[in-house]
Amino acid sequence: MTTALTLDRITKRFGGLAALQEVTVQIASGDITGLIGPNGAGKTTLFSIIAGKTRPTVGRVLCFGHDVTGWSAHAVCRLGVCTTHQVVRPFGDLTVLENVRVGASFGASGRLGGRTAEEEAGEILTFVGLAHRRDSLASALTLAQRKRLEIARALATRPAVLLLDEVLAGLTPAEIQQAVELVRQIRARGITIVMIEHVMRAVMDLSDRVLVLNYGRLIADGSPAVVANSPQVIEAYLGEKISES
Amino acid sequence: MRSSLRLELVAALAVGLLLAAVPMLIPGNITLLNLGILTFLYVAQGVAWNILGGFAGYVSFGYAAFFGLGAYTTALLWLAGWSPVLTYPIGGLVAAAFSLLVGAPTLRLVGPYFSIATIGVGEAMRILMLNLDKITGGASGLNLPTVVPSKTWFYFVALICAATSYAVAAWIRTSRFGLGLTALRLDLEAAESLGVRTTLFKNLAHIVSAALVGACGGVYATYLQYVHPDTVFSFTLSISLVLIALIGGLGTVWGPVLGAVVFFVVQDYLQTSYPTFHLLVYGLLLLVIILFEPGGMAGLAGRLVARRRGASAGPPAADPAPHAEHERAPMPRADAERPGTERTT
Amino acid sequence: MFTTQNLVSVAIAALLTAGLYAVMSYGLAIIYGVMKVINVSNAGFLMLGAFMTLMYFQWWHLDPVAGAVLNLLPFFGAGWLVYKLLVRRVVSARPIATLLLLFALWLVIQNVALAIWGSDDQSIITAYTYKSLIVGGFRLPLTRLIVFAVALLALSLLHFVLGHTYVGKALRATVQDPQAALLVGIDTERISALAFGLGTALSGFAGSLLTLLFSFTPDFGGPFQLKSFTIIVLGGLENFAGVTVGAAVLALTESFAVLFMRASLQNVIAYGLLVVALIVMPGGVAQLWARTRS
Repeated sequence: MTTALTLDRITKRFGGLAALQEVTVQIASGDITGLIGPNGAGKTTLFSIIAGKTRPTVGRVLCFGHDVTGWSAHAVCRLGVCTTHQVVRPFGDLTVLENVRVGASFGASGRLGGRTAEEEAGEILTFVGLAHRRDSLASALTLAQRKRLEIARALATRPAVLLLDEVLAGLTPAEIQQAVELVRQIRARGITIVMIEHVMRAVMDLSDRVLVLNYGRLIADGSPAVVANSPQVIEAYLGEKISES
Repeated sequence: MRSSLRLELVAALAVGLLLAAVPMLIPGNITLLNLGILTFLYVAQGVAWNILGGFAGYVSFGYAAFFGLGAYTTALLWLAGWSPVLTYPIGGLVAAAFSLLVGAPTLRLVGPYFSIATIGVGEAMRILMLNLDKITGGASGLNLPTVVPSKTWFYFVALICAATSYAVAAWIRTSRFGLGLTALRLDLEAAESLGVRTTLFKNLAHIVSAALVGACGGVYATYLQYVHPDTVFSFTLSISLVLIALIGGLGTVWGPVLGAVVFFVVQDYLQTSYPTFHLLVYGLLLLVIILFEPGGMAGLAGRLVARRRGASAGPPAADPAPHAEHERAPMPRADAERPGTERTT
Repeated sequence: MFTTQNLVSVAIAALLTAGLYAVMSYGLAIIYGVMKVINVSNAGFLMLGAFMTLMYFQWWHLDPVAGAVLNLLPFFGAGWLVYKLLVRRVVSARPIATLLLLFALWLVIQNVALAIWGSDDQSIITAYTYKSLIVGGFRLPLTRLIVFAVALLALSLLHFVLGHTYVGKALRATVQDPQAALLVGIDTERISALAFGLGTALSGFAGSLLTLLFSFTPDFGGPFQLKSFTIIVLGGLENFAGVTVGAAVLALTESFAVLFMRASLQNVIAYGLLVVALIVMPGGVAQLWARTRS
């Protein structure tokens, strides 16, 4: 089992506020890792640090052995680590296909020309189940479809590691079921997945391993069953029994 | 999409050839040649400006700096005995170098702040040049050699400028580079996270368009045989390019072509009676366009065509306006870290 | 050349100018604060303010200071209308659309003025234009003193309105957090219209004062507008108190730079400062200060 991502003592302070403190973790290649925690725990900040959107105050990020701390977001993406956005950000004026073409033309897949990029984009749209909307404007999609588009665009960059930030939030139970299935299929392609999620049943179902952040600290790390029963985690969620939420 | 693109290119080629034949078809008409030369130069610049302003969405009010640098480079080299033709590309290079110098820091600014900074840069250049009288001739300008090629020669050179701009813009529009520019215009952060080298692309777009405008400046200098800081670095010129592209249609290749033709015809018509009246007309037109038709004339035309085809989802007009997702820019820095962005629900 | 006497008199002249600069930029800061809109049409209203003052002077021999006060109401109305009829329609779209709209408005105002008044230099000569006072060995032009005093008065009044009236407080609340302001029941739409009116009124007011010190043409708003940007950027954009700081910084820099270079290069300083300030200190001088202290 190789290591896809290594976070080494990541600390991030905004002024006096510590959003992340000494987070150290290694993500195994091929796993689905769930990242959970209460609001404001620092999950999205951690993602932006990995993706190169924010610099950590202290600490290092290693992707496949490369120290990518301080790299810009596009460089991290081309190395094979792609992030989806919590609030989906499709290019509203482009068609669904063109949106995905951006990922295919610029990501880790390298310099794909017009035709190849377009074919690649078409295949990915079929894979995520958006082929029927390929020529619609992205702004015309439903929320569930936009989330799929967000994933499709990221997949088009041919990532080795995919960071999914709340792709299930706001979906109906039926849509969640479909999205969970999609995440499984993505993993079956050999892509390492780290996902921030609040829909507990889905995270517990999907993840090989769950990390829990609270007030910027990693308070639990283990299999879903172990984490769900950890007293610290239960306390962090104020006694809520998380397996039922 | 692809077939309509091919159609557009064939049409452009046909128009180009037709224009090239004009001096042969209607020989000896100096007025027509003059009209052609200036219009082509406007077309070339409007189309070039649009590469950064329309495709990448960075509206610059400072392009006169590039035009002026090109004009003065050509003027000085010509005075030093160079053949004019050789000096045009060099003028373009000088403009390109300057665009890199000012673009590298200013293109980090978010939209409107970039625009304001370009006004500062453009005007500062004009005043500096006025004061460098040893080099630029200052307030009296520079008289250039009187032995010049014929009007027909200039007509072709200006036509070549317009054609080059058009070809470069058309190529960019369909290329991977163009896709990257569109992506970064629509959402810089999303584009970046999909692997688009946004900083590099913005600067490349700036450099390419500055080079084209710089070369036009050179042609203009040789054509007029006179350069003056207040004319070649004028703010009015910078504004003209913005107006041409916006009124023609941002983000399309042929919108600025249309815009430039209309602009120059209106200007030429009103020039004698009232020299800046066309700016009033254009200001009003711009108001109407921003309020009602953000796609400009090209957008309007596209919409009319789409309606005639029974609204069969025509190509979307690249817009300077709608879409609520675009947040208002709170701070001038694009890459300033925003604390507390975590907004987990 | 650099005697203490000299330096002090340059500093005094700079400070006197700073008062006018602050009034001229305050409107821009208010509009920016409330709507995050860069009001380029300000240049047009500055110029219009100057020309209206010229008209009052020609028609009724009205002093420019009185003209400045007279300008307040009509310019407030004009700004209100500009917001209601134009800005409101595009302000939620991409910021560049608003900038271009206001820019178009400026072009229209400027060229209408050209059509009416032509491009000749205009100036207003009052009975006290060439008089000066000798204070403590320094010769101070009376016009500058008057402009400074009026500006100071206007700033104090503005400060009072913003700080102690309901409208002023609502306006400042909107600047700090529009969403929260909306939640506590402030009609932000009305505040925006009000801010535009107030900002424009201040431009008209400042335009009048400018006529006491400078000659003017329909083109003259532009350079002052750019200086106003420089000032509010230096001041930290949303920071009203920063406007005064920015005005002082710009006026001092300009005045002292002239000791070292040609006077005709003075505007280059302002524009250069604008670009540099935008790039290196998005939070203005105050932020730079805070940074060095922490």
